[in-house]
Amino acid sequence: MKALDGVSLKIGSAETVAIVGENGAGKTTLVKHVTGLLKPGTGDVTVDGQNTRTTSTAQLSRKVGVAFQNPDHQLFSESVEEEMSFALRNFGFAPELVEQRVRWGLELFGLEEYRKSSPLVLSGGEKKRLTLACILAWDPEVVILDEPTVGQDSIQKEKLAGTIRMLTSSGKTVVVVSHDIEFLWPMQPRVVVMKAGRVVGDGRARELMQDKRLLDSARVAQPQLVEFFQRLGERPEAPFADPLEARRWVEETRR
Amino acid sequence: MMWLSGGFIFRRGTSVYHRLDPRVKLLISVLMFATTLLVRSIYELSGVLAFMIVVAAVAMVLKRVARTMLFTAGFSVFIFVLNFIFTRNLDTSLLYASRFVAIVVSTSLFFITTSPDELEQVMKTFRLPRDVVFAFVTAVRFIPVMFLDTIQIMDAQKSRGLELEKGNVLKRVRNMIPILIPLVVNSVVRSGELAEAMESRAYGAVPKPTSLVEYRARATDKVVALAAAFLFALTAYSFYFVFPARIL
Repeated sequence: MKALDGVSLKIGSAETVAIVGENGAGKTTLVKHVTGLLKPGTGDVTVDGQNTRTTSTAQLSRKVGVAFQNPDHQLFSESVEEEMSFALRNFGFAPELVEQRVRWGLELFGLEEYRKSSPLVLSGGEKKRLTLACILAWDPEVVILDEPTVGQDSIQKEKLAGTIRMLTSSGKTVVVVSHDIEFLWPMQPRVVVMKAGRVVGDGRARELMQDKRLLDSARVAQPQLVEFFQRLGERPEAPFADPLEARRWVEETRR
Repeated sequence: MMWLSGGFIFRRGTSVYHRLDPRVKLLISVLMFATTLLVRSIYELSGVLAFMIVVAAVAMVLKRVARTMLFTAGFSVFIFVLNFIFTRNLDTSLLYASRFVAIVVSTSLFFITTSPDELEQVMKTFRLPRDVVFAFVTAVRFIPVMFLDTIQIMDAQKSRGLELEKGNVLKRVRNMIPILIPLVVNSVVRSGELAEAMESRAYGAVPKPTSLVEYRARATDKVVALAAAFLFALTAYSFYFVFPARIL
């Protein structure tokens, strides 16, 4: 069985890409190829001109930061600050810079109060935020987030969406692997739909999320706003012509 | 690592051997194990190993048994070197090194063809305490999960710039700390969650719970068990009475 089959993708810098698909579709396998954790059986994966076959994961990880799905798979240090400085020390950052980056990361994700606490006693959502902070601390050019919204409440999701926008606007490439369509939709990323190891859809969220047949075949839920828009569109007096206008229309109607 | 571990982990199969009563498979493995302890020369052991390979071929697990042998090769070389240093006897050193491989293969043949459920039933037939059986079978069942966890933890730490293969032996051992701590913590957390889940599903509610499956030996199982016992007796007899050799 091939975990990935005939996948051909080109992701540009400063692009936000969402990879969606059912469990076992090959999303995590795909991102592991980008970090060099897995090497392709055939074909090549190139990150910023470097072939992942000939570059070590440690070298690639300086450019590509991955926050994996399960935070419990990486937390081991005695304190949150040590956990955050682990990668920075591995990459040889100067002590002052380590301190500066740790403080920045903890503030960004609202974890300052846990600085001296053990990462193992944090809640699920806090652990997840800590792993994101650990990745962003070394300022990689490509940030891959594997199911970043798992265990996060709505406020944290909003903050996370803001962080992703900030990363994109500062020229970072962000790849988000997620089942959380409602989280992805407002960001309007490029969406890559995967099914059984293949890419079955690739396009802007605005167009792709309206293809109900494609989404159903890949077992991906349609955003509620798009579904709402399509249902209203079946009526002759549809009040708007684009799903992106739906939120505005709802707010105006409410007023 | 994951590839090698396949030599010890059960996977469902459709071979005649897989379909045997698990108690018969245990008997065959125990007899093969005992035979490896009876042999006195590398030539006899080669015969026993050849028999094990035939059993593996019947069970259609030859490739996986080859992995088991490859996995044990490192330890085997260590045993050989150590014995050769102290005994200066090539035959003895070879015998002890190969005996280790044969012992591991005989046990691995049982574990890779017997599911944890079958293992549980086998242990129950020996009237072992239920809690002991449950703890043992759960440990066996979680071996593949632990392997997967290890791989995922290694991936996560490598993505944070950890180079496991870098540095001297001491540095490499230190590099394992970021792998071992999450692995142990996850295992402890998982065992706690499992205990709660079991209790919430009435584990221990009655002293003698019923079984979904009860094994009854078929004619094939009885014939195979008898044949295995006969072959073992014949081998043991021939070793000591027909072809008596010097005892190392």
